[in-house]
Amino acid sequence: MAITLIRDISDTSSYWGASWVFGCFPDVHIICDAPIGCYNLLGMAVTDYTDALPHMANLTPTSIREEDVITGTAKALKRTIDDLRSLGSLDGKRLIVLSTAESEMISADHTKYVAQLDPEARFFWSQSLEQDEWQGRDRALLFAWEEYGKPFVAPDAPPKAANLVNIIGPSLGCFNAPADLHELKRLVAGVGGELNLVYPYAGSIAGTPQLADAAANVVLYREFGEGLAQALGRPYLFAPFGVFGTTTFLRELGALLGTPAAQVEAFISSEKKTTLQPVWDLWRGPQSDWFATVDCAIVGGRSYVEGLRQFLGEELGMKVAWSSGRPRREDEPDNIEIRKRLHAKAPAFVFGSINEKIYLSEANAKGSHFIASTFPGPVVRRTTGTPFMGYAGAANIMQELVNRFYDMVFNFLPVELVRGQGTGERGQAGPPQPAAAAAPDRSSETMAWSVAATNRLTAAIEQVPFLARISASRSLRLAAEQAARARGDTEVSLEMIEAAIAHGA
Amino acid sequence: MAEIIPLSPAGDSDAKEPYKEGSCKLHPQTMCPAFGALRVLSRIEGAQPAMVTDTGCLYGLTFVTHFYAARKSIIAPQLGTAELSSGKVQEAANAAIAEAAKEQNVSVIPVISLCVAETAGLAEELLPTEVDGKPVVLVRVPAYAIHSHPEAKDIALAAVMRRFVDGASEQEPRTLALLGEVFPADPLMIDGVLRKMGGRVITTLPGRHVNELKLAGQAAAVAALHPFYRETVGVLRERGVGVVTGAPIGVEGSAAWIRAVGAALDIDDDIVERVADEEVAAARGFLSTQPLKGATILISGYEGNEMLYARLLIEGGAHVPYVSTSIGQSMLTAADEAWLKSHGCEAVVYRKAIEDDKAAMEHWTFDLVIGTTTLAAHAKELGIPSVYYTNMLSVRPLFLAGGMIASLSFVRELLGRKPLYERMLEFFS
Repeated sequence: MAITLIRDISDTSSYWGASWVFGCFPDVHIICDAPIGCYNLLGMAVTDYTDALPHMANLTPTSIREEDVITGTAKALKRTIDDLRSLGSLDGKRLIVLSTAESEMISADHTKYVAQLDPEARFFWSQSLEQDEWQGRDRALLFAWEEYGKPFVAPDAPPKAANLVNIIGPSLGCFNAPADLHELKRLVAGVGGELNLVYPYAGSIAGTPQLADAAANVVLYREFGEGLAQALGRPYLFAPFGVFGTTTFLRELGALLGTPAAQVEAFISSEKKTTLQPVWDLWRGPQSDWFATVDCAIVGGRSYVEGLRQFLGEELGMKVAWSSGRPRREDEPDNIEIRKRLHAKAPAFVFGSINEKIYLSEANAKGSHFIASTFPGPVVRRTTGTPFMGYAGAANIMQELVNRFYDMVFNFLPVELVRGQGTGERGQAGPPQPAAAAAPDRSSETMAWSVAATNRLTAAIEQVPFLARISASRSLRLAAEQAARARGDTEVSLEMIEAAIAHGA
Repeated sequence: MAEIIPLSPAGDSDAKEPYKEGSCKLHPQTMCPAFGALRVLSRIEGAQPAMVTDTGCLYGLTFVTHFYAARKSIIAPQLGTAELSSGKVQEAANAAIAEAAKEQNVSVIPVISLCVAETAGLAEELLPTEVDGKPVVLVRVPAYAIHSHPEAKDIALAAVMRRFVDGASEQEPRTLALLGEVFPADPLMIDGVLRKMGGRVITTLPGRHVNELKLAGQAAAVAALHPFYRETVGVLRERGVGVVTGAPIGVEGSAAWIRAVGAALDIDDDIVERVADEEVAAARGFLSTQPLKGATILISGYEGNEMLYARLLIEGGAHVPYVSTSIGQSMLTAADEAWLKSHGCEAVVYRKAIEDDKAAMEHWTFDLVIGTTTLAAHAKELGIPSVYYTNMLSVRPLFLAGGMIASLSFVRELLGRKPLYERMLEFFS
């Protein structure tokens, strides 16, 4: 068996995924059978940087110690449950005990023991040593339904109303979930749907049986949640992206809910004049011309990658150089390959995680714009104003890209540095110094270039995103000429331009 | 010391039952211990870490490493049921080492072995000691055996020190190596004081370059500014480097430290006394105003240097009845603990859990909480001014008179912010 190498891992384990699902329920307490690090990283550190929660209040570790690794974690688990009970932390709550990679490593399967200690409690075998966060979330959602929902619902019970809709998926550790959820709620209401449950984000374990009340489900992400939608046995749709993708979604959802087509079309028409008006205005303006001149790379969850490919690539005509979704398919680049590609040639826009941001920094790719579109990486996305999905998402992304274009232009324009008075250096304000003004700047003289040097400059410029080329060619030319002058040469040689490129001018 | 007049309501601090630690320790307060190792190792120029662990661990540790250690790509082998059950840990580690060795300008390949790999068993003798001339150093930091992230910093630093410290070259007289992650201005201030005595700072560890690790072996003495570098101190002591414990903190701490350094570097007593007196005079001038007088402050961090900060606040006039930290008690913590206990501090808790801190919150009434994220959030929910200890500490100098003035001035400002915390609480509750 060959060893697979991972560079800067993108997807975490099923223990994390399951905890991010169960952790949404206010009436659940989770014990993770884990050393303190697995508790700290999930419950105190990372979730603060992904969801802006100071800590996960309903997560407690067994704090596996060296002796537990040898003798098993049952004693630690018993002590943890007893302590939680004595503090009253389990009052009115369902207890779920999760295995982690380390407890699985020492085969600590507590299914029977947990049932013995508390018949109402459940043990969730995370399978953290082989499954990723998407599988973990998917299984946790199904587990919640099968343990706490389905047994309390009459088989073949009809929906409570024909227009009730669940939104399935949004949970902790989901990039941008509040904004995308907000947009989906708006769209569902727009075509006559009534929101039933947002699960698990705004749900509870006690309310799980109510999932069966809805007539249709919207699955927010393609990477997980479909399993629960299938188990519920009602029609479901995935959340949409882009102008045309969203329009199709609205017509399909309207049909599923039995909303009159005229009502659906009326909503779409009013959206064109409101939410989508900036898309039409930017499309008619010169801004949209730029989209044809630049390329982008997209790294994100499966939904985001497919959605952005469709909106940016198919609807706006931007060149998508490459993309990589999660969970990753065999034909998509892994991080080792992504890093190589970004080092060789960075597209003008890179949607991604902190990993792509680091690779761009390593390559000093100043001409490339990074746009956060997935975890890992610390980024607060708790407001409702930054959607990627739906009509509002289309308008938001288009606005964001145009503003990045404007930034690009701003950064190219010439600027003269002014030193502050407080720095102790001579102030540069006021009229130019006569001495400096009198001598003509030698850089204004035209300098000869060897053919090899010119070709090298052209080749280097080819690697720079379109809009940044003018600026890059100017700064490379000046750097090479300055180096040549400094050596007393009269012509720019290949060596000089190579040095300027290497120096990152 | 000035008399302590707590701001707290009268009667609150009357004699009562002594503080008791939390009834249980359910939620230990420390970063994942292994992060301490990554923090130290990933910041060394040219270090290419190879992490041997499961995917969840890898995700969490690379997340925090990329956030606040280094923008450095990290390689690891896939280590799941298939690899573990077929005994491939060794092979997996070697594959990651080989990949790390392909990077440009590699100075060292630290192999960071974590819980799952340690449980499966990773044999040091089966790892290469170098690949293409690039040194490979095994660092074992399973979270179940090392209980705090400061202590993992020590383990990681000691591991690379053993490999790189220069034992052959001669010691340079009157040079001091500093040991501890400190605010960048602190070594400069310390160096300024040493130069007045004819000495100098040779390097500050944990360094950013392998050469800095080598240089430490040439120091006449090492000053362990933070009290958890037990192994690293041991490595240097074995090589004949003198050891100074404690830090130049506050008036009393700075004077004692300057004298200890003077003795360790064999500097003339008269010069040492003169410099110590100068520092004392500078600090006393500021302290005469007792900027924190009347305030009761809680200190709870997981960086391992909380007692230093508490000393500073007490000299500034504050009442600090409770200090908690993630590290364990040792010879290196004894002096600070004794000082605190003789200056009104009633409880110093090692290896603390949030339950200990919350018990302290109930036992005393605090005007300011400098705590872990969890505790600071809890205090804010009570409308008490509070800040995250690590944020406080990492953004301004701490040592000697200069550090004292910077730190105490900021704390004093925080004490005036109570109306903001109360208004927020009133609105959101």
